[in-house]
Amino acid sequence: MSHQHSDPTFRNARKEAIGIGLIWIGSTIYCCVYCYFFGYIRPDQPRSVAEIAPIWGIPSWVFWGVLAPWIVCSVLTFWFAGFYMVDDDLGEDHAGELESDIREGGSHE
Amino acid sequence: MNNAAPIHAEPATFLALVIFTLVSLGLGVVANLVTSKKAGFLQKYFLGNRSLGAFAVALTAAVVSGGTFVGFPSLAYKHGWVIALWIASYMVVPLTVLGVLGKRIGQLARRTGAITLPDLLRERYGSPALGLLTSLLIMLFLTSNLIPQFKAGGVIMKMVLPASTVGMVVDEATTTADVGYMIGLAVFAATVVAYTAYGGFLAAIWTDVFQSLVMALGVMILFPLAMMASGGLAAATQAGIAQTDIGFAFGPGATKNFHPIGLAFSFFFMWAITGMGQPSTMVRLMSFRDSRTLRFSIIYMMIYNLVIYIPLIFIFIAARVIVPDLAKPDEIMPSVVIKLANPYVAGLILAAPYGAVMSTVSGFLLIISSGLVRDIYQRFVRPLASEKEIEWASYTATVLVGLAVTIIALRPPEYLQLIIVFSSTGMAASFLMPVMLGAFWPRATHQGAILAMAAGALSTLGLYGSGYAMSGLTSFVPYYLLGLDPCVWGLSASLLGGVVGSLLSPPPDPARVALLFDAQPPSAPAPATLDLHPNLASTISTDED
Repeated sequence: MSHQHSDPTFRNARKEAIGIGLIWIGSTIYCCVYCYFFGYIRPDQPRSVAEIAPIWGIPSWVFWGVLAPWIVCSVLTFWFAGFYMVDDDLGEDHAGELESDIREGGSHE
Repeated sequence: MNNAAPIHAEPATFLALVIFTLVSLGLGVVANLVTSKKAGFLQKYFLGNRSLGAFAVALTAAVVSGGTFVGFPSLAYKHGWVIALWIASYMVVPLTVLGVLGKRIGQLARRTGAITLPDLLRERYGSPALGLLTSLLIMLFLTSNLIPQFKAGGVIMKMVLPASTVGMVVDEATTTADVGYMIGLAVFAATVVAYTAYGGFLAAIWTDVFQSLVMALGVMILFPLAMMASGGLAAATQAGIAQTDIGFAFGPGATKNFHPIGLAFSFFFMWAITGMGQPSTMVRLMSFRDSRTLRFSIIYMMIYNLVIYIPLIFIFIAARVIVPDLAKPDEIMPSVVIKLANPYVAGLILAAPYGAVMSTVSGFLLIISSGLVRDIYQRFVRPLASEKEIEWASYTATVLVGLAVTIIALRPPEYLQLIIVFSSTGMAASFLMPVMLGAFWPRATHQGAILAMAAGALSTLGLYGSGYAMSGLTSFVPYYLLGLDPCVWGLSASLLGGVVGSLLSPPPDPARVALLFDAQPPSAPAPATLDLHPNLASTISTDED
């Protein structure tokens, strides 16, 4: 079972899933770490109104910790789905065959 | 404290709901007519002949529910800007929910001929027991999810029914909220069951697309109106702080420790990962047309999330100026809409959550009835049933499930929103890892899949049960082990169970693995055919040949 399975759809899907996993990990770590250090009230870090430092009315920690990465991820998503993902063949639909198999299996019982 | 303007008996809102209802019923009829001549009945009724286009996949998988338009605004109003982090993982949801499993589920569904999730798992792993377990867990979790959805539909309908309608049934002096609710529930249930049963999967999808478009339109109308009425986000933030506390502008949020950082981390699992594991999502991934459709649906969904969720945050932060100190924050959405928009536009926007609940319910009804008909009735009871018999069994199952849930929803349990979260978590913890391992790991076995499913379901039930017990049976809040949501533990336990269970069991049949993981000619048999005719194994090409 150690050999490489050569179905191109499987291989491309696996490669794309790994890429998406990396984007998810990156966005999770960035957003949580940035927001915690710059936007959270902590025992050692009480906050004041001055620290809101709004950008277009949005608290700066929300702007840089959520909105900016959201825009970056949207651009990345456009590139990933628009240019990186491959149009693979999904193959023949065997729904009718399975239907027949269920009946055949039933007739053997 | 500010009380919301009453929306009961608003003629414009009622009119909008009537239009919504009629459009949904019309879509059910059209869906039935359009698909009646194609393919086998089950594939048509429960999967729409794998014909979904990019727009439909994107909008129906956008995880937009009634909660998006009711619950989310009230959280933004109550707790302030931290809600941006609460919803932040939607930035990657289009990629994770559609991109990770989409292509492989689409391929495996075609190679196995699967039309339901239990079908897919049973055929991938060659295990009837796994298929049955999947069906039973889907029914358990989805039924518990449907009850609060039915209640939400009944409540919304009650709020907009003209008082005279209720008065016709019960004398005004004796009219109680319950009577209005029961009439609302009856109208809601009759509508949604009728168009779902008649129109099947395509009716559910088209209604979903329709309500998603109305929601997007509503947000686009509300956004500039809210910004103008509030004087901008900076003023709204100051108003929010004045009405609550400094937490309105920072994490973990105003009024209480709403979103500590451990939960913030968990919510990147909650939306982006558990969304992948919902049966309703997986069914859509079995029904899209081709890979190109999948790619475009990811892009459309990204745009939809961008134009819905970020403006929603802004609108309901601004609501602190528009409707200050609202006594019941859950009513902030209708209050803002009524205050800002003209009555007919308000009616249309208020109809959107009703439509969202309807489309959620119709999709879930079909998943449960497909489980009953395909995975239990046809597989275990009547494998030789004729096409006509299956057709009637499908209609009957959809109606009976709807009726059963309506009866339970007459006396709905408490903690409705938490029950929805519980069932979504439970489904993801149960199904995501068996599907993910089955899609990408040839060594995954049915023993591993069963262990993964059991570990995910039991750890979710255990953490919710522990939280319930520790509250003295007064609150259905889970136990947050190490500050993390049960979805993190459920998914981790399921992954561990799947890997350990697979490695400890004998390797799967090489011929089945080759059928599902190696390049095959179009003439290659489905795995079910291989089960019936093992001699075909010698004809299957493998990469080792």
